[in-house]
Amino acid sequence: MFSNTLFMLSAALTLGGAFAVVYSQNLMHACIYLLASLFGVAGLYACIGADFLAATQLVVYAGGVVILMLFAIMLTGGTGNKINRYGLEKVAAMGNKKTYFTAGFAAVVTSLIILKIIASVLRAQPSKELAANQVTVEKLGTLLATDHILAFEISSVMLLGALVGAAIISRPRKEKHD
Amino acid sequence: MINLGSYLIISFALFICGILVMVARKNIIAILLGIELILNASALNFVAYTKFMNNNLDGHIMSLFIIVTAAAEAAVGLGIVIRFFQLRESIHIDDAATLQN
Repeated sequence: MFSNTLFMLSAALTLGGAFAVVYSQNLMHACIYLLASLFGVAGLYACIGADFLAATQLVVYAGGVVILMLFAIMLTGGTGNKINRYGLEKVAAMGNKKTYFTAGFAAVVTSLIILKIIASVLRAQPSKELAANQVTVEKLGTLLATDHILAFEISSVMLLGALVGAAIISRPRKEKHD
Repeated sequence: MINLGSYLIISFALFICGILVMVARKNIIAILLGIELILNASALNFVAYTKFMNNNLDGHIMSLFIIVTAAAEAAVGLGIVIRFFQLRESIHIDDAATLQN
């Protein structure tokens, strides 16, 4: 009962947030709706017993990525006297009829393909009872430090590279000719 | 209520929303928002299959790596966006056409 309620709430939050990201005119609002959608996905993880993933989703996405995006939106809002055509003041930047047509076409084609793929799964509902949820943190830690240790190390190096790369790319540098 | 089909439907709707945002918008940061939605849809699929098909935790590991990759991608992407804004005073995707012709 509680699980069903949590599932309905999370699904509504996820789908509503995603649709609002599509239809929101204001970029800042779209970012906040994305935050709601990510919270919903964390609730969906919690419904099927992925407790560690739910916590990671909240910490990394809600605490890291969305805040980063909000900072980027605020930093690109136009500076001083220069009028920014596509900054926060005139966020429109929603695209025009042509891009909406292209997007609709892409969405229809993609949804047809995906529906064709998942139709068999939807038709044949396996009715076996599910195993009870159990704590996954210990098993995940063991798996991460034994079977998947190479991917773990590589991802840590990738994170370091991304950090240094982002710092170097976005650093203001002096032009040669002045 | 909580079964594989409903999770697949939710993930499918998330993916379609991500495609719509990524193609229809003209703002670089909005395109990054769409990419985040798509990555979340794929991670949700991994976790759902772990729960409803086989109960080993490899799907959770894969989902963790997706989250890590998404964080790195957001950092580098936003760095590029901010650098582009410093150079061009714009975050419109049509202004980034130097390599086009």
